[in-house]
Order: sequence, then C-alpha cells, then structure tokens
Amino acid sequence: MASYLWVLPALGLYALFTLVPLASGVWLALLRWDGIAPAEFVGLQNFERMLRDERLASALWHNVQYALGTVAGKIVLSLGLALLLHRSLRGRAVYRTALFLPVVMSFVVVGILWTWIYNDDFGLVNNLLRSVGLGGLAQDWLGDTRVALWALIAVDIWKWYGFHMVIFLAGLQTIPTELYEAARLDGASRWRQLTSITLPLLRPVMLVNVTLSLLGAMNVFDIPYVMTEGGPANSTNVVALHVYLQAFKFNRLGYGSALSYAIFLLITVIALVQLRLLSRNTAEY
Amino acid sequence: MAVIADAVAPRPGRKRLDRLVTGVLSHLVLAIFALIVVYPVAWMVFASLKDQTDLLGNIWGLPRSWAWRNYGDAWRTAGLGRALANSIFVSLATVVLVVAIAAPAGYALAKFRLRYATAIFLVFVLTMQAPVPVIPLYVLLVRLHMTDSYVGYILPLAAGGLPLAVFVFRAFFLTIPRELEEAAVVDGSTRLGAFLRVVMPVSTPAVATVAILQFLAAWNEYFLALILIRSPELRTLPLAIQVFFFDWGRTDWGPIFAALSVGSIPMIVVYVLMQRRFVQGLTAGAVKG
Repeated sequence: MASYLWVLPALGLYALFTLVPLASGVWLALLRWDGIAPAEFVGLQNFERMLRDERLASALWHNVQYALGTVAGKIVLSLGLALLLHRSLRGRAVYRTALFLPVVMSFVVVGILWTWIYNDDFGLVNNLLRSVGLGGLAQDWLGDTRVALWALIAVDIWKWYGFHMVIFLAGLQTIPTELYEAARLDGASRWRQLTSITLPLLRPVMLVNVTLSLLGAMNVFDIPYVMTEGGPANSTNVVALHVYLQAFKFNRLGYGSALSYAIFLLITVIALVQLRLLSRNTAEY
Repeated sequence: MAVIADAVAPRPGRKRLDRLVTGVLSHLVLAIFALIVVYPVAWMVFASLKDQTDLLGNIWGLPRSWAWRNYGDAWRTAGLGRALANSIFVSLATVVLVVAIAAPAGYALAKFRLRYATAIFLVFVLTMQAPVPVIPLYVLLVRLHMTDSYVGYILPLAAGGLPLAVFVFRAFFLTIPRELEEAAVVDGSTRLGAFLRVVMPVSTPAVATVAILQFLAAWNEYFLALILIRSPELRTLPLAIQVFFFDWGRTDWGPIFAALSVGSIPMIVVYVLMQRRFVQGLTAGAVKG
C-alpha cells in the first residue's frame, strides 16, 4: 500500500481538478442554471436546444473551415520546408531556430501583433502589397466578413509551421538513406522517390501533425477572441467562443456544459475516424 | 551495375550546376519563410520604440524617435510590473509542483510492481487530449471559494500538465538500469532515499523537458486566467496585455507594442539560449512516443 503513496499526490490533484469536473459536467449539462438562482433539472432540453441554435451551426461551420485551412496550410508548408531543410546541411540550425520561434510566444501576443499587421492603412500586409504594385489586393483583412476567418487561419499557420516542420524533420531522419541509393540505382526520379519512399514512411509523423493541428483547430479560442471577438457579423465566431459567451457572458452554465460535451464527443469521433483512415496500411520497412 | 548508373546519370558538369541551382533555390525559399516568421517579431520590438508619428509614417524602418516612454506608459497603465511578477510566480509554482508530484508518480509506475499501475497510467493517457472542462471546473472552484486566487489558478494549471509530465517521467525512468537503485539500497538507503539521492540527480533530461513544457504552458496560458481571475492585481501577463489592448489598443499603439515586447522577450531570450532543449522538449512532448 505504501507504494501507492508515490502516485497519490499526482492522482489526487488530477482527479480533483480534471476528472471530477469532467464527470460533474455531465450533471451540469442536464440543468438550467445561471450560477446564482437555484438550479432546475431540465433533462435533455439543453441538447434539444442545440439543434435550434443557429449561432452554433455557423460556429461549427467556421471550425470546419478553420480546420481545413490550418491543417492543409500547416502540413503543406511544414512538409515542404522540412524536405528542403533535410537536404541542405549548411545553416540548418539557424533556420530551425528561426522557424520554431513563434511557438514560445502566447496567442495573446501573436494575435494583437497581427491585428496591427492586418491594419487597413498602416499594417505591414497592405503596405507590402502596395509597394510591390498589388495595391488592388490590399483590404481591411479583419473587417471583411468574407476574409476575416481566413486572415485568422493564416495567423495560426504562421505560429505553428516551424513546429510541424521540426516533427517532419525528425521523421525524415529515421528513413534509411540506403533506400534512396537503391532507388537511384534503379533510375527512380526525385518525384518517384518522394511518393514511393518518403511519403509512405512519413505516415506516423504525418498522423501526429494532422491530429495536433486538427485538435488545435476544433478547440481554437484565443485567436478569434483577441483579434475579432468573433466578428465582423459573427463571421469568425467559433464553437469555443460560443461556449464561452453562453456560459460566462449570458450565465447559461447548464447549456454551456451541454455544448462542450457535445463538441467533445464530436471531436473524439472525428479523431477516431481520422486515426483509422491514416493508420490503415502503415508502411513497414 | 556501375555501367548502368553511369549511363543514366547526366554529364558531371551539368549535374554540378543543377545541384548549385537547387541549393540556392532551397536556401532562398527557407530564408523567405524564416523571414516571414522572424521579421514581424523584430518589427514588434522596433514598433515598441516608435512614437505615434513614427509608427504611422515610418512603417518598415528602425525607430527614429526611440520612445522609451512607451514602456513607462505600458508599465503604469497595464500594471505590467505586477503582471510580470505574477507570471513568474505562477509559472515557477506550477513547475515545482508538477515536478515534485509527477516524478515520484512516474517512478512508481515505471519501477514498482503495482497492481493497478496500468489502470492508473491509462487514466492519465486517455484523458490527456481532452480539453479542460472549464465550466464544471469553474463551478467547483466557486464552491471551494478558490476563484480569483493564486491557489485556485495554480492547482488546475498544474493538474492540466500532470498527464504529460507523468508520461515523460515514466518513459525516462524505464530506461534507468535497476542496478543503480539496487546499489543504493544495498548501501542502506530506503527506497525514497535512493530515489532522491541516486535517481533524481541523473534525471536532469526528464526534469528539463517537463519543466520547459510546464513553464511555457503556464507562461502563455490565457483561457483559464480569463475565466478564473477577476482582480487586476492577480492578472498574469497574457491577461493583463489583453485587457490593456481591449481598453487602449485602438488608439495608442506604441505602449501596446511595449507591452507585447515585455510579454514575449523574456521567453524568447530563454528560448534562444536553450533552443536545443526547447525544440527537443516541445516536440517530444507533442509526439508522446
């Protein structure tokens, strides 16, 4: 029994502040409660209410776009850069240090910085576009309902592409060079080597990178809250922001709890499906 | 074989030129994407030293005005001194707490023959990816009268970091040879004595990984702080900076950039000094075996 004392502090703290809330949230989801007046048991009404919640539907759709945009952007960019960096030895450490830098900055700092970078008149983006003669593309990035969400997606990609690149690099280093030598002897082109050796053998790290960016996209809160507060006209409202507003601005703790559970289940299902898709016929060598 | 390879390969001169061109092109692409990352950060620091006319008129260049006043303004209006102290205190406290309780737990799970070791380990691993249940956590902390306090923020923050820390420690302790502790026990040490005097001193890599992950997570944490902290004097840097931005941001940008710089430069300096450990620790933390 004394041996369990070694585990007890960690398990106790974790149980109290994560497992207990995780479990008690189920009960909370069945209540109508503003946190002050006595709570009223309403059964599954909170879940029914979700079906009629138009803001929720649009927020979910924004999360889907956010996920598609960030996952595609991060994977393509980081894989491309990793492939380049893997081959060029000189200056590798410098590039890696530089590209990894935004990982250590908070989303609050990054979000505020980019709010100014996107500024219509004085921001870097529009000034860059004007100075290279593309002034026609300059616009109010965060003020236009059609582009605001994509402007936020770009910031998320900016913060993480160096991080995913390092993970891809680690994966590339595990591929035996003899495979490429053999392929060259057989006259395989660069492209053929990429599609027949590199990409199949990168499947495990690809899985890690896709899962991490997908989870990040489904839970995103800081960037839209700090940069646009969900606007303009709700065009950047995402699920986590919707939950936050319902629970802590409108004091609907029961509904907020039901929402977060539904979303949690949805994310778990997506993650499992994707895990199956990506881990199927993992290459062996 | 060699004959075939020679026949397929292009002439040597052409090959060298090809390699030179692709080399230059890769460096060009890498440099552009590195610049896209680094320039805005450097620009943030320049902008923190520009006055309003400089900021609006001299967008790309170095500051002409060197407006150190921005830092004074931000420091006073946003309460940055207090926020900086709070962030350092909260981050260090969670690091100490997490290392102190996750290391023995990881050790027991790796080395003792515990009947429920697998079950306990699975509890940590399976819930690791679950998002923090903020609403019930908030309700719980209200019941415990712990909202808007250091303890009520530090404990949940440490709890959130525990699964990964236990995971890292367990994986590390599995690699330590049993003879090491056995020798210490033979010398008359208790199991706890062997752990503290023999095992922990050789575990710096694991401690460093956990400490970096936890410190960075706590330093940049914002969502829980937003929900749990009400009093201005308890605000951590991300919260203080966000409040300052919402209240002042749309008008006076120099002090905003000063606040952003105060919020990120300490971490950037530590990162540059210890970048190998940072990169290894953070990617190892993400991949989790």
